[in-house]
Amino acid sequence: MAIALAAVVSLVSGYVLVAAGWPRSHASLSVWLMKLSLAAGFGLGTSSAAYFAGRMVAGDHFLAIDLFLLTALVVLYILARRRTGPTASPDPVGDIAASPGLSPLLIGSFVIAIAAALYDTVARALAHPHGDGWDAFAIWNLHARFLFRGGSHWRDGFNALIPWSHPDYPLLVPAATARFWSYLGHDSPAVPAIIGLVCTFSAVTLSMSSLWYLRGRNASLLAGITLSATPFFAQQGAAQYEDVPLSFFILATIVLLHFGFQHPSESGPRHSRGPWALAGLSASFAAWTKNEGLLFLIAMFAAYAWVFRRTKESEVESSTRTQRSRDLLIPALLGASPILAVIAWFKHSLATAGDLFSSSAVILEKVLTPSRYWAIVRRYFREFFRFGDWWIIPGTVLLIQFYLLAQRRDRSLRHPAQIASIAILALTLAGYFTIYLITPRDIYWHLRFSLNRLFLQLWPASVFLFFLFVARKSPLPSSK
Amino acid sequence: MPVSSARLTRTEAAIVILIVGSLLSSVRMTFKASRPGHSEPDVIAERSDERFARLKTRLPAQGIVGYIGEAGDSATPDYYLTQYALAPLVVDDSTDHALVVGNFPSSQLPKIPQNLRLVDDLGDGVLLLANASKEAK
Repeated sequence: MAIALAAVVSLVSGYVLVAAGWPRSHASLSVWLMKLSLAAGFGLGTSSAAYFAGRMVAGDHFLAIDLFLLTALVVLYILARRRTGPTASPDPVGDIAASPGLSPLLIGSFVIAIAAALYDTVARALAHPHGDGWDAFAIWNLHARFLFRGGSHWRDGFNALIPWSHPDYPLLVPAATARFWSYLGHDSPAVPAIIGLVCTFSAVTLSMSSLWYLRGRNASLLAGITLSATPFFAQQGAAQYEDVPLSFFILATIVLLHFGFQHPSESGPRHSRGPWALAGLSASFAAWTKNEGLLFLIAMFAAYAWVFRRTKESEVESSTRTQRSRDLLIPALLGASPILAVIAWFKHSLATAGDLFSSSAVILEKVLTPSRYWAIVRRYFREFFRFGDWWIIPGTVLLIQFYLLAQRRDRSLRHPAQIASIAILALTLAGYFTIYLITPRDIYWHLRFSLNRLFLQLWPASVFLFFLFVARKSPLPSSK
Repeated sequence: MPVSSARLTRTEAAIVILIVGSLLSSVRMTFKASRPGHSEPDVIAERSDERFARLKTRLPAQGIVGYIGEAGDSATPDYYLTQYALAPLVVDDSTDHALVVGNFPSSQLPKIPQNLRLVDDLGDGVLLLANASKEAK
């Protein structure tokens, strides 16, 4: 009963928050599923940050904090709804063409793929109640235990005496876990396992519902099949590592940025401010999940600033461009700011120094060593084809064949949201590359044990973008 | 502009290849998950919470304790699992504390270092030790 209450409060908080930033378009199943899957992740993120902030200032009053949070979000929702009028939903701009006879195959295949993923993740979660791998118990669940069990001494867990537990790692999932445990009254290992499963299947639902909304049913089903059939995605979803939760927030950010780009010219920028604020919030949740999320957040703002700047003078007047940047980037910054404040607070007052940065002389020496670049490039290339633990045919090869066979004449990227999204992922990958370049650890060891998980963080967003792009080939009805 | 039949055929071929490739992995995922003994038995609870349940009642609720354990491949996981079990106590991998946890799961009890004295042998290689030089402080 207590855990159900904790889950309902978290989900309702997330839903109210998402609804506050959502344009008032007509309701449809795809929109409802998008909001629900976003609400699951946003609820975790919001309640995690509130629990942590409450722990910092008010001790153990988690119920009062949740009540305050929910009330504040309802007020925010009412204020936000007053400011926005209804807006028309855009038409989907073209699905992947397939004859109706293929529908049963698509639906049946999706049912098999999602059932297999569910079976695999649940079986793994039951077999490994404390997580599958060292990081689960030695980092994430250990932090949750310190937060929950520590009473007034919970800060002891973020101590330089145990640097191997990475006291500098952000706390979205540990704090969300500790909050559920506080409701339960004991530290059940089922909680982090369920959080992992929720993030896994919310990512599948979000990628499918958003593609259904933005493109059509075929693109949606194919994305669902591809994600569900990725063995490494299912495996990590049950492992109680934080790469799948991070992948959810990266996907959510990219989806919301596309969603926010729907209407600026037709309905006025007012209607895209909400999705952009939610995108900023989602990116900040990514940064509250793992340090790589902070890199992603920086990449997001850098990529969008670049996209606005590269718009040619002839296409958009300078003043319009500035106005548009302000209309879109400022809401994103405002959306990100509350969680960024929590992160800054955590990093400044609690976290110990990270272990990836050495002295500038050592970093310079590593940067000037060509063999390190070559080692990373080789591993990136190899991992591109090995990623995902697919059987017989790698998932990346399957997507390449799909692109080549289903190619259309006009293959250029025109939509600023698509250009920016690809730039975000490229910048994030470049950031990972730089971290490997300067890592104080053995570079081969570091690449071997982490690159597949870094690729996994970007996988749901990549699958979403892939089907968004390849589905943009049917004749496009003009926007309303 | 309708989609040409040639392109439609190519697209449908691409869809079928993607589905077949994906379902191969889904089917293998299902078989692997349902195979008995596929996963190694989970020993985390056994090596942490269950192993240190008795010791926990003898330790303070918070603070810092020391640690001494076996050498070898399992030394690091043994230490991490001790910390996992005893949180919110901080377990420092050092004997330089008034109370020291001894963890010797697979070997005969070692000769205790001179600066430590045995307070309690809780069985199964779990010891509670005290550091004489730190006790008085």
